[in-house]
Amino acid sequence: MQLLRDILDKQVVDREQVKIGKVDSLIAELSPGKPPRVIAVELGSIALARRLGSAPGRWTAKLAARLSGRRQPRPHRIAWNKVRDIGVDIEFDIDVRRTRIFAWQDWLREHVVGRIPGA
Amino acid sequence: MKKLLEISLGVVTSVGGFLEVGSMATAAQAGALFGFQLIWAVALGTICIIFLVEMAGRFAAVSHHTIADGIRERFGFNAFIWPLLATLLVNFLVLSAEIGGVAVAAELATGISFRWWALPVAFLAWLLLWKGTFGLIEKGVSMLGLVTLCFVVAAVMLRPEWKEVAVGAVPSLPHHDTAKYWFMAVSILGASISPYLFMFYSSGAIEDQWDKSYLGANRAIAGLGMSFGGTISVGVLIVAAIVLGAHGVTEVDDYNQLPLMLIPMFGFWGFVLFVASLAIACFGAALEVALQQAYLVAQGFGWTWGEDLKPRDDPGFSLVYTLTLFLAAVPIALGLDPLKLTIFSMALTAASLPLTVVPFLFLLNDDRYVGKHRNGMVSNAAVIFVIALGFVLAVVTIPLQIFGGT
Repeated sequence: MQLLRDILDKQVVDREQVKIGKVDSLIAELSPGKPPRVIAVELGSIALARRLGSAPGRWTAKLAARLSGRRQPRPHRIAWNKVRDIGVDIEFDIDVRRTRIFAWQDWLREHVVGRIPGA
Repeated sequence: MKKLLEISLGVVTSVGGFLEVGSMATAAQAGALFGFQLIWAVALGTICIIFLVEMAGRFAAVSHHTIADGIRERFGFNAFIWPLLATLLVNFLVLSAEIGGVAVAAELATGISFRWWALPVAFLAWLLLWKGTFGLIEKGVSMLGLVTLCFVVAAVMLRPEWKEVAVGAVPSLPHHDTAKYWFMAVSILGASISPYLFMFYSSGAIEDQWDKSYLGANRAIAGLGMSFGGTISVGVLIVAAIVLGAHGVTEVDDYNQLPLMLIPMFGFWGFVLFVASLAIACFGAALEVALQQAYLVAQGFGWTWGEDLKPRDDPGFSLVYTLTLFLAAVPIALGLDPLKLTIFSMALTAASLPLTVVPFLFLLNDDRYVGKHRNGMVSNAAVIFVIALGFVLAVVTIPLQIFGGT
């Protein structure tokens, strides 16, 4: 398996098969004398913007800080040892409702979409 | 039997997707100004879109990925962002043009200026997407689209010289208005080979949970559906060539001239049929383009998507089509000429083709996605041809836009 080819940009689902995002970046651990080891995947706009360059990454982080009210927003991380299955999608043994990954969708549901009749 | 039903439904659906304001307006303009001479552009565009749609369906059925998913996964986000932005922009203009088409139909029917219709039309489309399911939109709306067959009936009733029609199917050089001729050809190709068509088709295949057993049906739907759509476009062109030409209208620069087309054949009902065809074809296309916009964003970023879900279960997805629809109505509400916008957006669509079609060459030849169902020689040759065509169109569209555009 080639990490960049086969994992990066794949659809991520949780254990209920809910689509929660794409693998926006990979986090590897470097230790001297050993090959790099993947320890986590990252999801979210900050991770994505960093791939376009350091400037877009900084702007997105600033924007995210303003929107979320947190001082140092970070991309969402899922530990690699939670991987359950790699097929069409990559499935992690997590429940998205217990993470902050869908915080913005929850906000939208509560403040915008849910207020429109028929939603 | 069930498959047969599915294929017929699919064919009807693709006709609904194929015929929209772009193909109607470009075919009518081309017919009025150049007679049958540009039929070849409709035929060429139809053949190209048959290949692309078949591939999009095959890719989805075998790999369970939509085209957008495939492009991002195979080429990475940094490459995906270009087709993403280009398609979002082109789709937005096309959507605006479709809303304009429905609004013009409403103006023709009521006498109230199209500007006032833009927002109500967007609202009605939004309501259907908000409350409706994929099946309702795919099948219900495109069934109504069969009314556009009246153009084929009219074309046959007008008894054209079929020999001349056949001659028009072979490309030839123009005798007058050279820049305009090529600009029309480019616009017709753009109207036929729309990225939203094949991208929407691959999303639909996933929504309808296609698998390998659908490969045969996919081939039939792509081939028959698109040829059917192309035939209606040729019908529009023939009617425009004979009727508008006979009335001395060579330049369709005002949509008020268009309903003339069916009146000699069907009288008052010709007017009604024209208005209904325009409204239904454009409305169906508006629904598909707005949905495709939401599919594209949701698939590109991995959000939950699906037209059968309730909006509260995919708030990101629902918000994208909501915003797109209302924003796209704004230029029309402000009075932008729908016909000019249509022709412009069709030419731009043609120019954006390489960005969305180049990935086909890789995706459809990659064992990891399509296994043994990869492209044969003919399909690959077709993709390369569309790419080459797209590049030429991209290079010539801008100068033609300046010298030949309306």
